[in-house]
Amino acid sequence: MSILSTCQWLQDTYIGTSIRESIWVFPIIETIHVLALSISVGLLLVSDLRLMGYIMKRRPVSEVYEQIKPWMFTGFAIMTVTGVFLFWCQAVKAYNSIFFKTKVVLLVLAAINAIAFERGIYRKVDKWDNALVPPMEARVAGWASLIMWAAIITCGRTMAYTF
Amino acid sequence: MLSIIPFFQWCDNTRISLAIRDSRIAFPIIENFHLFALTVLLGSLVVLTLRQFGLVYKTQPISEVAHALRPWNRWSLAVMLVSGILLFLSEAMKCYGNTSFRVKMLFLFAALLFQFTIYNRTVATEDNSAPIGGKIAAAVALCLWFGVGLAGRGIGFLG
Repeated sequence: MSILSTCQWLQDTYIGTSIRESIWVFPIIETIHVLALSISVGLLLVSDLRLMGYIMKRRPVSEVYEQIKPWMFTGFAIMTVTGVFLFWCQAVKAYNSIFFKTKVVLLVLAAINAIAFERGIYRKVDKWDNALVPPMEARVAGWASLIMWAAIITCGRTMAYTF
Repeated sequence: MLSIIPFFQWCDNTRISLAIRDSRIAFPIIENFHLFALTVLLGSLVVLTLRQFGLVYKTQPISEVAHALRPWNRWSLAVMLVSGILLFLSEAMKCYGNTSFRVKMLFLFAALLFQFTIYNRTVATEDNSAPIGGKIAAAVALCLWFGVGLAGRGIGFLG
């Protein structure tokens, strides 16, 4: 079974069809997806800015990052669940959209960046926790994260125009 | 009674309105910045509210957290208003007949008024914990701003 036929099958399922054809469900899911940006990327912004050395400089990096993490993950969980449902009901259009494909690639890259940061320089955070401006590797991770998320938002929004 | 339709018609026909309508990419680009600003504006407000409810950054005084977030809050608000005005100019007559747009404007004026008269003042006086009144003010501000976002989505979906 090709990816395209899988997408076709997915959007023809009962759930896919129901969401697509309902007057309320799609707009509600889409609105939650957009407003939850503030809880996911909005909170990520704060920890990334600390990594870049622009905000809350007098506070330890680990404190700024760890305390906000569970809330941020809650935001990303909301984004993932609503995003899956949005894809579910229009999988073929998404499959044919260059913006959707770019978005997926960027999501994977953003995840790799986050994991590389956690397993890399952040393991030695004890040594630079109180640095006003964190080491280069941490700053690059912060910049990369913000740039990729800005691009992800752009792809997501642009995708909807082409549908 | 003086009608406001001529004002909307005028807005709909400015040089900027025509330029945005004539361009295929201007509207999406402006709306993208509107969305970036929404993320930062609501995000900074969510962080501050979480702090006021004692859920994050308890070792930092509330006024310090507010101070750190303030430039981001202000700049995102500026981007939000400028991009929002441009979007409005490009489709002013469509907005005139749009119920969600009217609701959004009500929420926007209420949110701005509440933030700059009550909310910012309560935050400035809060140190290690917010009194119940401060927590209520935080919740009200957050609801008003999310109301703006919610009604904004309604402009496209509901009319």
